[in-house]
Amino acid sequence: MSPLPTRRSTAALGLASATVLLTGCFSGGSSGGPTGAADGDRLRLALAFPPVAALSPFSDDSVLISRMGVAETLVVFDESGAAQPNLAESWEFTDDRTVALELREGVTFHDGSPMDAEAVAGALTAAADIDPAPRSVSGIGLTARAVDEDTVELQAAEPDPLLVQRLGSSALVILSPAAYADPAAPDPVGTGTGPFEITEVNGESGATLDAFAEHWAGKPALSGVDVRFVSDAETRTNALRAEEVDVAQNIPIAQLSALDEDQVISVPLPRLTGLFLNTAEGPFVDAALRSAAIEAVDPRPVVEQIYEGQVDLAEGFLSEGVLGGDERPEVTRAPVGDPAGATIRLATWNDRPELPEAAAVVVDQLRSAGFTVELVVQEYATLEPDLLAGAFDAVLASRLYLGDTGDPVGYFESDLTCEGSYNLARLCDPAIDAAVAAAAQLVDPVERRVAAVEIEAQVLGTGAFVPLLHERSRIGVLPGVSGLGSDPFERQLVTIETAVQR
Amino acid sequence: MRGLLTGVAAVTGTALLVGALPWLSGRDIALSVLRARETDRNPDPATLAAIRAQLDLPADPVTGTLQWVGGLARGDLGRSWVSGRPVAETLLPAFGISLTLAGTAALAALVMAVLLAVPALRRAADGRTDGGRLASVAAGALAALPEFVLAVLLVVVIAIGLRLAPTSGFAGPEHLVLPVLALALPAAGLLGRVLGDAVQSTAAEAWVRTWRAAGVRRGVVMAEVGRRAVTAMVPLLLLLLVGNLGAAVVIEAVFDIPGLGGISLKAALAQDVPVVQAAVALLVGLGLLIGGGGIGLHRLLVGPALAGAGLTPEASPPAPQAGRWAAGVAAVLGAVILAGLLRDPTAQDPGKRLAPPSWAHPLGADPLGRDVLARFGHGALLSVGPALAVSAVVLAVGLLVGLRAHSARAGLADVLNALPAVVVGIVVAAVAGPGLGSALVAVCLVAWIPLAVHARSLAAEARASGFYAAAQTSGAGRWYLVRAHLLPVVGPPVLRHALTRLPAVALALAGLSFLGIGAGPESPEWGRTLADTAVYLERAPWVVAAPALGLILLGVIASLVRTER
Repeated sequence: MSPLPTRRSTAALGLASATVLLTGCFSGGSSGGPTGAADGDRLRLALAFPPVAALSPFSDDSVLISRMGVAETLVVFDESGAAQPNLAESWEFTDDRTVALELREGVTFHDGSPMDAEAVAGALTAAADIDPAPRSVSGIGLTARAVDEDTVELQAAEPDPLLVQRLGSSALVILSPAAYADPAAPDPVGTGTGPFEITEVNGESGATLDAFAEHWAGKPALSGVDVRFVSDAETRTNALRAEEVDVAQNIPIAQLSALDEDQVISVPLPRLTGLFLNTAEGPFVDAALRSAAIEAVDPRPVVEQIYEGQVDLAEGFLSEGVLGGDERPEVTRAPVGDPAGATIRLATWNDRPELPEAAAVVVDQLRSAGFTVELVVQEYATLEPDLLAGAFDAVLASRLYLGDTGDPVGYFESDLTCEGSYNLARLCDPAIDAAVAAAAQLVDPVERRVAAVEIEAQVLGTGAFVPLLHERSRIGVLPGVSGLGSDPFERQLVTIETAVQR
Repeated sequence: MRGLLTGVAAVTGTALLVGALPWLSGRDIALSVLRARETDRNPDPATLAAIRAQLDLPADPVTGTLQWVGGLARGDLGRSWVSGRPVAETLLPAFGISLTLAGTAALAALVMAVLLAVPALRRAADGRTDGGRLASVAAGALAALPEFVLAVLLVVVIAIGLRLAPTSGFAGPEHLVLPVLALALPAAGLLGRVLGDAVQSTAAEAWVRTWRAAGVRRGVVMAEVGRRAVTAMVPLLLLLLVGNLGAAVVIEAVFDIPGLGGISLKAALAQDVPVVQAAVALLVGLGLLIGGGGIGLHRLLVGPALAGAGLTPEASPPAPQAGRWAAGVAAVLGAVILAGLLRDPTAQDPGKRLAPPSWAHPLGADPLGRDVLARFGHGALLSVGPALAVSAVVLAVGLLVGLRAHSARAGLADVLNALPAVVVGIVVAAVAGPGLGSALVAVCLVAWIPLAVHARSLAAEARASGFYAAAQTSGAGRWYLVRAHLLPVVGPPVLRHALTRLPAVALALAGLSFLGIGAGPESPEWGRTLADTAVYLERAPWVVAAPALGLILLGVIASLVRTER
């Protein structure tokens, strides 16, 4: 035994580990700060999704910058999905493919430059020129030019009734010309028009925002916002419970019981959960078996037990809010057939925690009705190619149906027509295709809605879809927080009225 | 020189494997990148074509990987396909964070393992080699603790209840406390078991008797026995350190730590090849470095004795009553399982969602209103069976590799160990498709490594013993040497080590189920049940308690089983 080299090496090991600990790497930044570091009237906010593309509006991050009150769109949607003035004060169709937008006066960007027609036309042109273009303006051949100081003329290649609606998409937020140095990935830091200005982005962990006193609607009540991006829903809820954040987005149903009732704001979403039956292959080619499945599935235990009454029972694709009091026409379906043990594969994904449990209930109901069911549950990313290829007989899916133009016809087009790119039911019915094409030409929002209700009845008549429920978003708040924006499109969260009292 | 070549080959090889992932899985890169950027966008052909054009995708994995390796040689880690930003910008900070977390966790595990071994050290210094059952039971139970259950418990009790530490985030040292505990406690159980074993066999070495007879102070004997015993554990500890760098996905998610594990998983799901390649290259490079360092450190700690036939390791004598205790615990567990087997595990009643224990449901009901006792019983065989099979295979492989390794060098084991388990799972799932078989293969691929490393260290010490040298000099054959001199010394501790890992294997199998490999969504398998119900831990502890206790009792039984002839 020779202790000498050993001691030295042990000491070296100890020293090395001590250095690691002392100089340990942390994610830093004032966001995600230690417990109780609440500063006066700054709001501590936990958002659900980390940035995927360095906050570029040409990605899902557009919703983040919109939610944080950093950047704004020209128009916003009301509850029915109709466009309302925002950065644009008014608009007028000069012909069926051209719109003249009158801009709001006195709007300045965070960098001090004025939001004039040049800047807006530049921002819209950047969005139209990138490939792939943001989905709301993809493939419509959009051009924008400044007519005078505060008038912008927009033109689509073809007649386009949705031209103004498209401007409400969060991907079309207006940033100052300085943001477009890299036209493929505009930088919203210091270039938005919203009530809050980004002063620091801390990778994918958080961001620091300061109030923008020159905002066109007045000085924000808060002096700033400390944002954390926390992807795990349970972790967000726990941060709220430990009072490390004031507001946490998307509280999971499993954890609602840990919060007081008045700590949760619940907002109906245009998100539909239901069962799509494969009409092109397998047992559900037979309309009688589809009717049998519809007969077998009872959404009430799913809504009341699995979702614990926190969602709304769905009778069709469109929610009551979108219907706006319209009556649904009577639906007639093929007579119910006998499953006789027909074997089906039902798939769903586990990215949304409630879906696998809801699927288990539906599977049980189908089994009781005489189907033989195999359940497949996977991460969405690994499941999607099979979903789109029609590898399953039934898919329990959850999907936004008003998209980002606030219009249901586009949803029907992509999800329920022969050429649709997300047609889970693999539905191909010439009558439905014709009805959707006709509805797409309508200009008046009310007429479009009436047409949508009729298409819905047609689709339900095929038995390709079993509606289950309409989702809600649940925002957790600490007592003392007021003035949060709650819109069904989840765009506005922190506004100029948001305040916090400690 | 040779080490450098191994390193380059390993990095290129794993980069190629990762680069081939989209081709193996058959998933369109443009679609997975689109999904990562925009969750709800429709995958119409024009959009996908535009993304393909924008990404400038390589024509085949080999060209792509060679390009990437070329960039790496110039110090360029490439650009992410999803965000378009330089990979180094996100990866290097994450690497630092993971290193801080894993390093602290390894240190904490070492300290706790040594504490667990203190009673054994005392006995050794007193010249006793019996007893130690309690410590090994405690170690076995700790090792069986599911990390994520522990993590949720720690958050609820320490962060929310007592407000002693923050729930999540990683802005300063106070954020280290809970994640380090969650990582280190199960690891300390494993290491403590190995360390206890090593103390016991060291205590039987002749020099201890000599020292005691010579009147060396008790503290000095304890310290020396401890140092000898820790040597066997050092390579394992470093293995754990490297493993945690990329595999702490669950802990990173629960505590919202922007580390390498989460980034690798997200990138692998999005098929963001440059990011995964860079992460894997970093991990493999560091794994080889630390693996080589571990062998060197082991040599350094044992000292010249390793080369000089100066050691006399002996098989430790069996603890006489342990078997009876094991049988007792097994009988209790068996009775509960039998009771569950007599009930219906599939009958659902959503109305009884999360119902507390009652006469009708002695262990309560799960989120779908199914009987927890029934599912516990029916899940037992599904959990223990595959775990036992995997353990047997990896034990055999580990012993084979460990005993053959004459020239101790960092190699395949260090490379595989450094790869994040989920990335291995995604590759295996891509190649072999969904199913339990894929999960078994994925877990087998990595689970043999700690056993092989353990066997390698013990064998190196055995080969340095006087009796081995004597037998070798007197012309004993290779097979005889292995059978008569290596196996009796190396076999039992490694077998005990493998048994201690049994619950961890069951959890690892379940940990891959979200990829569609492993036990199916309706299976009552314990690990799967735990993974699916962990969110209800606070609201309905009984749903989580049954499978968690099952695994812990399994760990206790494994730690009590007699492994000696």
